[in-house]
Amino acid sequence: MATVEQRVKNITGRVLHVDPEGIKLEDDFAADLGAESVQSIELVAMFEEEFGIEMDEDQALSVETVDAAVQFITRVCKEQGVEI
Amino acid sequence: MRLVLFDLPSERRGNFNPICLSRPIWELRCGMSSLGEKIIARLGATDVAQFVPQYMAAAYAEQTGYPVNDAKTLGGDDLLLVNPRVKAEALNVETTGAPEVCLSDEGEVLYARVPADTLAKLQAGSIEELLESVKSLPNVQRDLATWNYTWDLVLANPDQITEDFRAAGMSGIVGSVEEPRAIRGSEKDVYVASGAKVHPMVVLDAEHGPIYIDQDVEVHPFTRIEGPCYVGKKSILLGAKCREGNSIGPVCRVGGEVEESIIHGHSNKYHDGFLGHAYVGEWVNLGALTTNSDLKNDYSDVSVVLDGKKPVGTGSTKVGSLIGDHTKTSIGALFNTGAYVGAMTLIMATGSPLPKFIPSFTWFLNGVPTKGFGKKKLYQTARTAMSRRKKEWTDAQEAMWDAIFELTAPVRNPVIKKGRREMTRGR
Repeated sequence: MATVEQRVKNITGRVLHVDPEGIKLEDDFAADLGAESVQSIELVAMFEEEFGIEMDEDQALSVETVDAAVQFITRVCKEQGVEI
Repeated sequence: MRLVLFDLPSERRGNFNPICLSRPIWELRCGMSSLGEKIIARLGATDVAQFVPQYMAAAYAEQTGYPVNDAKTLGGDDLLLVNPRVKAEALNVETTGAPEVCLSDEGEVLYARVPADTLAKLQAGSIEELLESVKSLPNVQRDLATWNYTWDLVLANPDQITEDFRAAGMSGIVGSVEEPRAIRGSEKDVYVASGAKVHPMVVLDAEHGPIYIDQDVEVHPFTRIEGPCYVGKKSILLGAKCREGNSIGPVCRVGGEVEESIIHGHSNKYHDGFLGHAYVGEWVNLGALTTNSDLKNDYSDVSVVLDGKKPVGTGSTKVGSLIGDHTKTSIGALFNTGAYVGAMTLIMATGSPLPKFIPSFTWFLNGVPTKGFGKKKLYQTARTAMSRRKKEWTDAQEAMWDAIFELTAPVRNPVIKKGRREMTRGR
């Protein structure tokens, strides 16, 4: 199975129409990858669907970088008993 | 005699969602006033007690002059318990007399007259106990007319305005109607209250029903108002095509075309777009060109989905949208016939008709129901909207909306999950 990082990059690429291979961990969703506010909501929804988790929207939407998203999702999966 | 209005949690309450999520049923409006005001006027009550679902008690207590959920009000006087679903005009009940109860076919208390000496023999520690206990009183068989769904109020609105206008007994121009003006029908069927300003080039067409323009209303040029119509205090009509049967306000901003609709206070439909046979809650903002359908292309009866699952037949060919408090729509939102739009929702138009059921606290974005930025952001928007009208978003209101969030979660969550799946498939 792909890693959390790879799955996060794949979804980010699909939502923001960028090549997942070109996404770096330090990339900022808004500043570097061009995410607009509605796309941030789509990203959160699609991460939830991909990993089968429920994220607190305030916490999820305060995540700024790809790396932070990977860390955040990993933690939520652990808390909610989801295997990754 | 003390009038006790009661509206406790029940399956039937859901028939009045999303409007009654944040208020007791007697605060729903029809004609020129609320159902509660009509009942109080009908019975001539001065001593009134009220019982509402506990989650809204503190917030409602901030808005009403009568006691709320105070068990002490269930003693010390003769009581007349009245279910607010009973139509006021059907309440031909002596306020004093022998004990009696009238039950619906389903065993729901419609009203109960309980003299103080009888009260001592009943369980009256809580409203729930008392309502159960009064069922042992002599049961009278009366076929009392009741309100059963929100759209009943919309469909009854034109006639109710006419009745309320006659009962108010007001007529004539007290405020100002500037020249050139056009009043069609009899001027006796028009009332412009003090402080109201009707600008030039306004048509007041009272040929088919009365028009009541309440205090401090402002009606801008090129507005056409067809009676029966009630415009509440401090509302502004902005070149509106105000067709028959509307109850608007107080403190609303209304433009575009509106027909046979009820709009609660502080809601705005400033721009063009059609709203017909709709019931709109408080603090709603309908963006420019927001439009609802109220008639199906095949002229069949409209159904409404109230619980997210099963459509309910309305028995009417004309039913528009039910829109809960604090909901906002973007420009160009299109609501299907008989749409249910929950409270605290945020709707972004898709260019095609939106789903017929949008749960409360949903952010409908890019054609998909989502959690969006969450309820805190919705509260922040509500706080801003209210402060613009010098109203306060209180802790009690926030606690009530938190409870509504939880109450509506079982219906909302599956819709949002389905939306996520659709979003994933679409990408």
